[in-house]
Amino acid sequence: MAKDHRAGSKVRGDKLPAILMASHLIEGDTVFLGKAGWTRDPSAARIAHDAETAAAMEAEGKAAAAANAVIDPYLVPVDLSEAGLPIARHFRDAMRQKGPSVHPDMGKQAEFAPLE
Amino acid sequence: MTLITEDGAAEDRFTRADTLEAALAAEGPVLVPLPVAADYLAKRPGAETGISVPGATSIDEIRPHLAAAALVAVEFPGFSDGRGFSLARKIRREGFAGTLRASGPLIADQFADALACGFTEVELPETMANRQPVQQWLAAKETMSVHYQTGYGTEPSILQQRLTARKGATR
Amino acid sequence: MYRYDEFDERFVRERVAQFRGQVERRIDGSLSEDEFKPLRLKNGLYLQLHAYMLRIAVPYGTLNSRQLRQLAHIAETYDKGYGHFTTRQNLQFNWPKLKDVPDILGLLADVEMHCIQTSGNCIRNVTSDQFAGVAADEVEDPRPTAELIRQWSSLHPEFVWLPRKFKIAVTGASHDRAAIKVHDIGLKLKRDAAGAVGYEVIVGGGLGRTPMIGKVIREFLPKDELLAYLEAVMRVYNSEGRRDNKFKARVKILVHETGEEEFRARVEEEYARLDGPTINAPDEEVRRIAAYFAPPAYATLPETSAVLDAARAADPALDRFVAQNGFAHKQPGYIALTIALKEIGAVPGDMSAAQMRAFADLAETYSFDEFRVTHSQNLVLPHVRKDDVPAVFAALKAAGLASANAGLITDIIACPGLDYCALATAKSIPIAQAIAKTFADEKRQAAIGELPIKISGCINACGHHHVGAIGILGLEKGGRENYQITVGGDASEHAALGERLGPGIDAEDVPAAIEAIVETYLAEREGGESFIETVRRAGIEPFKAGFASFLDDRAPASEAAE
Ligand code: SF4
Repeated sequence: MAKDHRAGSKVRGDKLPAILMASHLIEGDTVFLGKAGWTRDPSAARIAHDAETAAAMEAEGKAAAAANAVIDPYLVPVDLSEAGLPIARHFRDAMRQKGPSVHPDMGKQAEFAPLE
Repeated sequence: MTLITEDGAAEDRFTRADTLEAALAAEGPVLVPLPVAADYLAKRPGAETGISVPGATSIDEIRPHLAAAALVAVEFPGFSDGRGFSLARKIRREGFAGTLRASGPLIADQFADALACGFTEVELPETMANRQPVQQWLAAKETMSVHYQTGYGTEPSILQQRLTARKGATR
Repeated sequence: MYRYDEFDERFVRERVAQFRGQVERRIDGSLSEDEFKPLRLKNGLYLQLHAYMLRIAVPYGTLNSRQLRQLAHIAETYDKGYGHFTTRQNLQFNWPKLKDVPDILGLLADVEMHCIQTSGNCIRNVTSDQFAGVAADEVEDPRPTAELIRQWSSLHPEFVWLPRKFKIAVTGASHDRAAIKVHDIGLKLKRDAAGAVGYEVIVGGGLGRTPMIGKVIREFLPKDELLAYLEAVMRVYNSEGRRDNKFKARVKILVHETGEEEFRARVEEEYARLDGPTINAPDEEVRRIAAYFAPPAYATLPETSAVLDAARAADPALDRFVAQNGFAHKQPGYIALTIALKEIGAVPGDMSAAQMRAFADLAETYSFDEFRVTHSQNLVLPHVRKDDVPAVFAALKAAGLASANAGLITDIIACPGLDYCALATAKSIPIAQAIAKTFADEKRQAAIGELPIKISGCINACGHHHVGAIGILGLEKGGRENYQITVGGDASEHAALGERLGPGIDAEDVPAAIEAIVETYLAEREGGESFIETVRRAGIEPFKAGFASFLDDRAPASEAAE
């Protein structure tokens, strides 16, 4: 592996709706900004439908990074499933919502209900 | 700016002056950029002078000024730019015995290496010094008590210590 | 193998304490993430897609059973029960927590291991030939040199903040298994006309975005001048390597842009200025280190083993295993065995804690308590008595470690790729798994013969795709994963970079594309030529043509599907 974490993925077109994703500083796992504070459950991520909410969430992420709680927070453009759950549009972000494809027994997919 | 030496925080006796005019107007020892050094010393021969050089400077450009300098400040644009460490080695190799300053946003974890490469002090921007107080620098300096590389720092290297131990054992 | 003395021990313990302090200062905010990141990288700690990842140094790929058992313990206590061997002979854990890392480092120190400089812009873990001390074509064992460099490069006060990472490889053999021509510095032990031992010094090789073959900067460097000469090269690079663009910061770009002649002149000028004798290791020290690598206490045995011959005749699976995974040992009656971590469908390089324990027992009982990690993400039992091979094979089978595919088309190198890696542009492991399944048939593999496939999940080339006989590079194109295929790469003394066959293809098409390339080879092959020999002789064109017609044949089908 060459370097290190690179926040953000290239997604063309509309950046909304979006969720905010980051890594937890002490544990290192992926966390999402939820309705109140951070959550490890991808389906509990707060969804920004408008630019204003997205900006507010981004600011919240930056503050959490400055407070040494999370690392590399960034907005992730999502599509909504029939049940209204956020599914990342970029395959890299989608991988972070699930866990390694070669280990279905590890990561989010092993701990939480699938995003459907 | 905060100045840290091996013994802790120190007072900076040098005034930075970026132009010849400013240097001539200043009181006490001045720290001038390399291109200003020759002109300043021509007007103030023998004055206690510091020369500031970016870490990327070639030793060939610095060499002619070393004899007259009391201090050389090597400027680090960022803590991860290691050119200054090699430049310090080259400056010391020229026989420079004055004060060698590392200037820029270094971190405490680099203090021991900076000293081992020949620096005598670090000049730190205030914002960094607030987050990493002097005690952290002094503590970081002590974390590693041994090193493998011969010719760095004042203590003998591990290789030299092994040799000494071996000679002691066979005697 | 090398054992720590009191100084090495103290050094590693203090480094653990130092890192513990750095973690504390990160958590209390004294260190920002921008400051902490290079510090943790210099101790092998990355932040990946799902978690932190800790890369543990396996200096020049040598380990013993006690160390492997400790790794199994760490895997079970602090990770998810497995580890991953990398293409640089290291081991990675994919799920550690920052707060646990200092304790993990302490456990590593207990067995003389560490994570020092397994990442970051510094001199990385030194790699070497996995058959060091075993191969008959060796001028001298490269491991004492590698150990000396390990010590010299550890926390070097001047060279910890280089423009970019710096990798050194050493070989002592005429057949290059350490890929020294694609390292920042490659050292080859050789003899001069008078019979004295020294090094050929190669600088400026590397893969990544701009792959280059290294240049010989010194034809012959006397052995005792090594450290001073390395210091000269490093000082030139640290002072002059580009820092304005990280993609141009490796020493290969400096050598390329400065010109080979001029670069050599600058190194020699620096070398002339420094005080060599004070920098170089004293002869006593060189001999002290070398003594640890003296040959083990081999028994005097006949060259052939009647026991093994009879067992091979009776068991075709054992016979295949020995033929494929055995490597000639210079000591009569012994053999080196490659253990391919490449079961069909498994993740290349992964090993479970249970497998680690089983394998540790084997190394301890049958191989003088020593084994090696290879850059092909496999392991080697270096000194096995031929008489013991049937017992070893049975134990390997029980542990799921008896794949008889070393060097074959299913022995695929793959970087972690998008499944773990934060930099990835595409998946890598699933591609390896799909190809291995396609070619699972043992007879088919045997008919194809030696064919190293190497896969990287992005341009950084950790899977060394440029030097794969077939190389696969995963990229992102138009929001999808897309794979470029190269042919003709070679990491050996014939070092060559692979050439692209044509446009990139979808993941689903990769196995069939590999089949098409193999078909071209089988049609072009003359006599007993291996894949790479055929490419070298026949050139790339037939493979391009074969690939083009593969694309043509496939096009209508995929259009129809859309
Ligand atoms: S080649 Fe790219 S994807 Fe693969 S491990 Fe290296 S950085 Fe990650």
